[in-house]
Amino acid sequence: MILESVLLVFVGMGIGVFAGLTPGIHVNTTIPIIMSLSFLLPSPYYLAVLVVSVAVTEMFIDYIPSIFLGAPEADTSLSVLPGHRLLLEGRGYEAIKLTILGGVGTLLVSLVFIALIAGSFQYLYEITRPFVQYLIMGVMLFMIVTEKKLKKMLSSILILSITGLFGVLVLNSSLVPAQEVLFPSLTGLFGLSTLIVSIFERSSIPKQKEDSRMLISKKEIVKSLILASIAGIVVGFLPAVGISEAGVMAQYLGGSGESRSFLVTVSGINVANDVFSLVSVFLVGNARSGTSVAIQGILGELMLFDVLYLVGVIMLTAGIAAILTSYLGKTIPKYLEKVNYKILIISVIIFITGLVLFLTNPLGLLILFTSTSLGLLCNFLEIRRSHCMGILLIPSLLFFTGLNGTVLLILGI
Amino acid sequence: MQKNFLVLVCFLTSFIGLILIYIAAINLEPKQIKLKDITPELVGRSVLTTGEIVYKKSHVAGHLFLTISDEDTKIQVPLFAGFMNTLKEVDLTEDDFELGTKISVSGLIDEYQGQLQITPRRKDDIKILSD
Repeated sequence: MILESVLLVFVGMGIGVFAGLTPGIHVNTTIPIIMSLSFLLPSPYYLAVLVVSVAVTEMFIDYIPSIFLGAPEADTSLSVLPGHRLLLEGRGYEAIKLTILGGVGTLLVSLVFIALIAGSFQYLYEITRPFVQYLIMGVMLFMIVTEKKLKKMLSSILILSITGLFGVLVLNSSLVPAQEVLFPSLTGLFGLSTLIVSIFERSSIPKQKEDSRMLISKKEIVKSLILASIAGIVVGFLPAVGISEAGVMAQYLGGSGESRSFLVTVSGINVANDVFSLVSVFLVGNARSGTSVAIQGILGELMLFDVLYLVGVIMLTAGIAAILTSYLGKTIPKYLEKVNYKILIISVIIFITGLVLFLTNPLGLLILFTSTSLGLLCNFLEIRRSHCMGILLIPSLLFFTGLNGTVLLILGI
Repeated sequence: MQKNFLVLVCFLTSFIGLILIYIAAINLEPKQIKLKDITPELVGRSVLTTGEIVYKKSHVAGHLFLTISDEDTKIQVPLFAGFMNTLKEVDLTEDDFELGTKISVSGLIDEYQGQLQITPRRKDDIKILSD
């Protein structure tokens, strides 16, 4: 069984690398395709190993198109701006290494955290849920106030409100399949808008520095890993709070606003959330992410052995995926430097637009158009792009304050 | 000047996009989603699904708690007293929700004590499909 599992890890990693390098493909899009091939595998364990290895590999590789092409999928959308900033400084490889550090480091730290609080998930859920709306309000207030100038504060209120309304409309209507709605929304706000601006600002990717050092202090690394572990676990047990919202909260409340520490944190949140989701299937029988829903569907009720086995698969895959991501992160920019940047970016924009049409429908293009306009508006108003997270923060706030139903009734949706 | 123009253009395109999305949202029939596709990631979202009533419990306060199932997936559908009163306008009472009845439910996904549930809000959100 061990030998077959290792073999399947490599198969899964091959699929994960392909899906991860393809801009815009989220793991929740890949998993149903893998599940449909289950008849090829003799044991559900093999299928579970395949699903986990694909998911973990994608988690690492996803940052390559996000940072080098500005083409994210939902969970990596927040990494576009700090990643792109470092790329333009010639430090794209460092940005990739920071996401690897965040992923691997948080995997270890979050396992310790999960073991420490394993018995009190339900209690933590019950004591934190009543305060989530205040946390979200606090974060939004902080986002506005830290713009400092009155004009910018007003602009940030405008962007938070409009993107919030946009979020309420697209998340609660059936314009596009519910599982795919975040792709055109977040890609437009953070990805396409960045690409359009960069078309007019540069003609090539700056030569990337050979220097592979990570210019971040040990103290910042430790802080980011702990923050990511906590935020990833919090995302796991709080409904209606996603990885991106947790990223914004960590950025503002945890003080990880600097590009490097933010990349470590946001990558770590992704990993911590996935590990926690898997463990929570065992502890409370409740799947919290696309991957853990698939695992629960394959194996049913998880035993301690299953969890330990799958955590082993996660660690093995993460270790190899980290090396692979590092290699690709060093190699790919050398090719990108030789390509005409404008043609590359226009090709990526066309590809993403086509992918939105393929995964959703023509209304997905309307969502992409609107979200890109909102991302550009935020850019031209010269305020931080994270204000566009109103798309998720406002609907979450309405959910936790119990106002969601009322607002939808008023809007007639 | 150029920056102000760009801000204006982006504002207008965003505004037009939002208006078109709103028009589409209020005119589109909710798309049906299978029970097995309702995951915790959809908490807070509005969905339409169908299922067979496999559990029914009345509460003294007038609430009716249903569980619907589709193959091996189950989800709870709480119908609170206020909502039960509005259902009378469409001639639906507690007696219409018998075990084995197939219903369609539209509403917000929520989580209560670790279990997912769909809470309908309007009288048209719940329909009896068959006995």
